[in-house]
Amino acid sequence: MNKDLKNTLLNPIFKGNPISVLVLGICSALAVTVQLKGALVMALSVIVVTGLSSLVVSLIRNTIPNRVRIIVQLVVVAMMVILVDQILKAYAYSTDKQLSVYIGLIITNCIVMGRIEAFALGNKPWPSFIDGVANGVGYGLILVIVAFFRELFGSGTLLGFQILPDSYVPNNLVILPPMALIFLGCIVWVQRAIQKDLQEK
Amino acid sequence: MEYISLFVKSIFVDNMIFSYFLGMCSYLAVSKNVKTANGLGIAVIFVLLITLPVNYLLNTYVLSPGALVWLGEDFANVDLSFLSFIIFIAVIAAITQIVEMVVEKFLPSLYSSLGIYLPLIAVNCAILGGSLFMQQRDFASCGESAVYALGSGIGWYLAIVALAAIREKMSYCHIPDPLKGLGITFIVVGLMGIAFMAFMGISL
Amino acid sequence: MNTNSNIYTVIYTTIIVVIVAAVLAFVAMTLKPLQDANIKAETISQMLSAAQLVNDSDLQKMDNKSVLAKYSESVRTAFLINSKGAKVRELNTEDGSIELADNLKEQNYNIKGAGEPNLPVYVFDKAGEEIYVLPVYGAGLWGPVWGYIAFNDDCSKIVGAYFDHSGETPGLGAKIKDEPSFREQFKGKSVDIAGTKLFAIVKGGAPEGATGAVDAIAGATMTCNGLDAAINTWLSAYKPFLATQMGASLSKECDGSCGENSGDCCGGGSCNGSCGGNHQCNR
Repeated sequence: MNKDLKNTLLNPIFKGNPISVLVLGICSALAVTVQLKGALVMALSVIVVTGLSSLVVSLIRNTIPNRVRIIVQLVVVAMMVILVDQILKAYAYSTDKQLSVYIGLIITNCIVMGRIEAFALGNKPWPSFIDGVANGVGYGLILVIVAFFRELFGSGTLLGFQILPDSYVPNNLVILPPMALIFLGCIVWVQRAIQKDLQEK
Repeated sequence: MEYISLFVKSIFVDNMIFSYFLGMCSYLAVSKNVKTANGLGIAVIFVLLITLPVNYLLNTYVLSPGALVWLGEDFANVDLSFLSFIIFIAVIAAITQIVEMVVEKFLPSLYSSLGIYLPLIAVNCAILGGSLFMQQRDFASCGESAVYALGSGIGWYLAIVALAAIREKMSYCHIPDPLKGLGITFIVVGLMGIAFMAFMGISL
Repeated sequence: MNTNSNIYTVIYTTIIVVIVAAVLAFVAMTLKPLQDANIKAETISQMLSAAQLVNDSDLQKMDNKSVLAKYSESVRTAFLINSKGAKVRELNTEDGSIELADNLKEQNYNIKGAGEPNLPVYVFDKAGEEIYVLPVYGAGLWGPVWGYIAFNDDCSKIVGAYFDHSGETPGLGAKIKDEPSFREQFKGKSVDIAGTKLFAIVKGGAPEGATGAVDAIAGATMTCNGLDAAINTWLSAYKPFLATQMGASLSKECDGSCGENSGDCCGGGSCNGSCGGNHQCNR
């Protein structure tokens, strides 16, 4: 793997993380983090959608008429999302029910459109695919970290298995939506304390 | 009475931002001052109010299982619900485009204040989210979906204006360096969400 | 080639739309049977849970196949009844014919007067005893709420219940499904078929020792009211059937008295609760 490609792969996961640095795709990120399982499935779905739609758009990038560019991109993204949704409905029905509307909302996840506009339209298919996947992974990483803490403290379990002893009283506040934001704030805090160049004035 | 209850619930209890995090990206990006937040908030109410009833009609008469029965008995078994995401987002994109053109032509003053936000809205999760919730919750009538659209639009508007006001004040505060900007905003939104939870027990 | 001309744009979008529609239609058709099987298995598992044939933790581990196997193993018969309580048609229990939530919606219109309802009754066999599972359906706060209520062999006692919803508020209304203690309350309660209100979900807590009432969920008034209405509407429609069931087992010795428990009242009257083990029933 050459250096450019490696950079394309690693940058979005840490230094240019789509959620904690670029503030993209937060909408759906937080609602699905009550349980680790839901977060993992959501992360996987986003990785598939960003990777494949970047690949497809990059393949047809020279043929897209400029005026209908956004609509064509939306159609490609929507197609991928519907495919993922249909497959989940068939093979992971209960998880799909738990994720409810948030699978559909991957369409408007800014990461997908953002990467297509910024990267896939100007690059060859293979790097575009890597870029899409890497951004999906960066997104998934944050999701999994938040879900890990929320499930551990909110239910005392991880992936449904009891981790904390029975004497631990689950903190119901952690399950409620606002705590996801506060956890995310803490993640940003930790990251920026380590990478000082990201701090805002 | 049902409409009023639905209206209040969608503003406070099931607030788009605090309960479902919908439209977070533009919410965080455009809440640095009250004036722009105001513009975006109004644009969201506007677009939600138009797209939701349209998508409701599409969902009832075209997309849901057996909806095409008005075309004839042969269509009773057609189920197009797998197309709903793509149709909804296409309707939203098209309507924002049309609204933008109409507003530019007939209401230039409104356009100059709203204009730049309208294209942003096509990819605002709150709009698509509204349509998807409408489909999931199986609203009984077009009026109900319009009331829901208005309520959740106003809820979103309230949330963004409130955050913008807080952020304007926050520039005078001492905040640890790594928390400045994004970090503290997340935490503030979280605390606002907890405050909004006080409305949860509301009974109508 | 000029990619900005009008003709090119129109042709290009048409081709893209046709390709996308074709791919999606193909995938949707291919996966449809699997998806339907999932929905069916879910509905059946809710009935099994209501009838207390499987417990919640086992249910999560069961796949579609074992749910269907458990169903065909434990179901005795299933049939549709009309508003008079007469049997209209048997359902095929071999292939697991059931009425899905979609269909309950249609029957809900019929109960409210749109036509003659065909109400499903599922009879399960639990260690030799018959368990009757009846569905309920209605409107919650945001969308439909539905569920299954299981009765013992003379329908005098509820042995369990399961509720589901399509979009109630998480942490509040959604508790009708997620909070086992809410469902647990239904166990051992009975339905008052003589009264105007068959069963009540009471805001602020059911009175101590009430047989036909459970506590509502705090903060979820609309959902609980909707569920309350759903239960009352549907069980009213089942009244003739329930009366026959109760009568069949109580007609042996009905002298207008009740035993130790006020739920023992024959004919569905309520117990006056006076001293001694042999109370009188109020009709």
